[in-house]
Amino acid sequence: MPSQPPLPPLLTSYLSSQPESSLTLISSILGATSNWLVLRYLYSALSTSNSSNAAIGFDESHNGAKKVVLVSFLRGWEFWRAEAKRLGLDLARLSDKKQFAFVDGLSELFCPPQTANAAPSPSPISAGFPARTTIPLRGPPGAVPGRAPVSALPALRNDNVARSPAELGVAKKLHFSGRGTAALDALEKDIIAVIEQLKAANDESEEVLLIIDQPDFLLAATGASMGIGATEMSEWVMGLQQTVHTTALTVAADSPLIHNAAASGNQQSTPVEGEHAAFAIGLAHRASSVMQLRTLETGAARDVSGVLRISRGGGLSGANGLDEKELLYYIQRDGSVKVFGRGES
Amino acid sequence: MSFRKRNIGLSAGVDRAAIPNASAQPTPPESIPGIRPSPDDGRPTTSTGTPSLDGLLAGHAGLPMGKILLIEENGTTDFAGALLRYYAAEGVVQEQKIHVVGVPEQWGRSLPGLIGTAESLEKRSDKRKDERMKIAWRYERLGEFGAGIAGSRDAPTPTGDTDAASKQAAFCHAFDLTKRLAHPSITNMTFIPLVPSRGSPFVAILKRLQDAVTSAGPNTIHRIVIPSLLNPTMYPPDACQPEYVLQFLHSLKALMSAHATRITAMVTLPLSLFPRSSGLVRWIELLSDGVIELCPFPHSADALATSGAATSQEEPPQGMLKTHRIPVLHERGGGSDQNVGQDWAFNLSRRRFEIKPFSLPPAEGDKEAQDAPASSGMPKKADLEF
Repeated sequence: MPSQPPLPPLLTSYLSSQPESSLTLISSILGATSNWLVLRYLYSALSTSNSSNAAIGFDESHNGAKKVVLVSFLRGWEFWRAEAKRLGLDLARLSDKKQFAFVDGLSELFCPPQTANAAPSPSPISAGFPARTTIPLRGPPGAVPGRAPVSALPALRNDNVARSPAELGVAKKLHFSGRGTAALDALEKDIIAVIEQLKAANDESEEVLLIIDQPDFLLAATGASMGIGATEMSEWVMGLQQTVHTTALTVAADSPLIHNAAASGNQQSTPVEGEHAAFAIGLAHRASSVMQLRTLETGAARDVSGVLRISRGGGLSGANGLDEKELLYYIQRDGSVKVFGRGES
Repeated sequence: MSFRKRNIGLSAGVDRAAIPNASAQPTPPESIPGIRPSPDDGRPTTSTGTPSLDGLLAGHAGLPMGKILLIEENGTTDFAGALLRYYAAEGVVQEQKIHVVGVPEQWGRSLPGLIGTAESLEKRSDKRKDERMKIAWRYERLGEFGAGIAGSRDAPTPTGDTDAASKQAAFCHAFDLTKRLAHPSITNMTFIPLVPSRGSPFVAILKRLQDAVTSAGPNTIHRIVIPSLLNPTMYPPDACQPEYVLQFLHSLKALMSAHATRITAMVTLPLSLFPRSSGLVRWIELLSDGVIELCPFPHSADALATSGAATSQEEPPQGMLKTHRIPVLHERGGGSDQNVGQDWAFNLSRRRFEIKPFSLPPAEGDKEAQDAPASSGMPKKADLEF
């Protein structure tokens, strides 16, 4: 099989041209994850080699000029770095050049780092939000320590091999503490700080693409008892959206999470399900485009990984000129992706 | 600098031409027992203690390090517990550190006894032992899937002698459920009890896991065993509040990604209490790297099961196994594995847990059922024509 271009030709137009202040929603399910599509977004925004994008001439000036902030709640830096490497994208170098910033929502979101053991646990009951006091472990927020010697960072004295130099590409580690909107505000402030920092870097382009990977996890793992619901989360996203050029979000759209809430009358629906459905559907109504990933209804196939449905969202800018499409995709063993229409191959 | 580059290239492992220079393997060197590079992309993997489960994991021939495997089970049987015991026993034999959450120490005493390497069991049952082809000695140490690709990267054993091969550190062992494991390193198991506390019961567990992992040396390999997560006989009622259990799993994931080459975890979940159709369970699944569901046949299906064996030597399947998510493969997008979407059946015998493709039995002795339609509901040929 011939090797595939990093950006599937059928998707280039969708990935590269988003109108200003637009929101793209990517939904995934258990068996059809969205990471590959997020990586394609990264590639289309960050890559400077335009060989595969030659078809869309006028966009080339934008390519490579964009900046990206990736906030990931379910996957660590190592995963994104390694997978982007397969596409020929060196995220560590790009973050040195202030074109890319990774915000780590996995490592220390709920568990305080080892050295801060004095404060035992982020018990959900502990009210108040001394969020900023636990953060300094990563040093000042501005420091994306590219090739800085490890010893320069006091926090890294912590014995371990796990603190590999690779981790230096992480711009910020999020901490969740406190409850309710106050806790969300702290997270928002952290992320905006990273965005501003990227904007401030000397470059002609101000366009920042913000990708948030699975913010719905934050909702599921906190919930009403910690004062966070779908409304608060939507406002949180809205607040972040204001600071960037375009936004892309991934959420889970498994049937128990979306459809259980609709089973009205029954007492079946739990808060997790209800809030999740409200959040995801609310986002879809605000989005300018929705990319749905799911597996084949007819069962697994050897040469198809899943179905990608691209449709307009309910947002304002969604009405103009987006081609609605349903495509099949196939992830090959080496990580490259083939996207094709039904009946083609 | 150049070292880093090479390291990255290897873990990406796209083209097989780059693979054979085994000198630059990623972090755990092959000298650590029980760890071997995946034949698929060279990442370190460890055995689950069940050869056929290793084979199911998308060509990696083992559980990749840093991944959580969730095993769900329907009904009241304890097949998942057997898998978990194999997993723990394998860890004991490989002298890894085992952390068992929530069960008393008796659990550790009921691990199945060691009866040799998995390969030796295979050989005993393998009737074609004598007619083994000459070329096969290179491959025999490897799992059954992806064996072809794997062969090239494995350092050739000095002799073709089978004794020499068995002296090599085995990757997977065979265990006997009727015996009890007696191994010097069984003391490597630590049991983390659930202590009643206000707030999340998981905070204390997580802290102990963190301390254990960070205080151990960089060459210690850990296995985290969580039997029957959320089972109300062990966990307090409020443990299944989403903010407690999901935050725990997220932190566990964080811990494992921070020490990605040193930890694996296996979790079992009783589906009868927490059905897959609930949002909470779906989030638990989404947080796991691999999700496998066991559906044991009810007793009424015994008839089917007995005739389900293709031949009289094979043992009848005891249930169906579904793979919902497979480590690494689905993280990338999924789908390109030949094992995904197959129907699997499993069978637990004294000596092994075997997973094999499920096939419906030929309808033997089903005369009445075949004759019956003629008289009853089935439409006649004439009715179907138009």
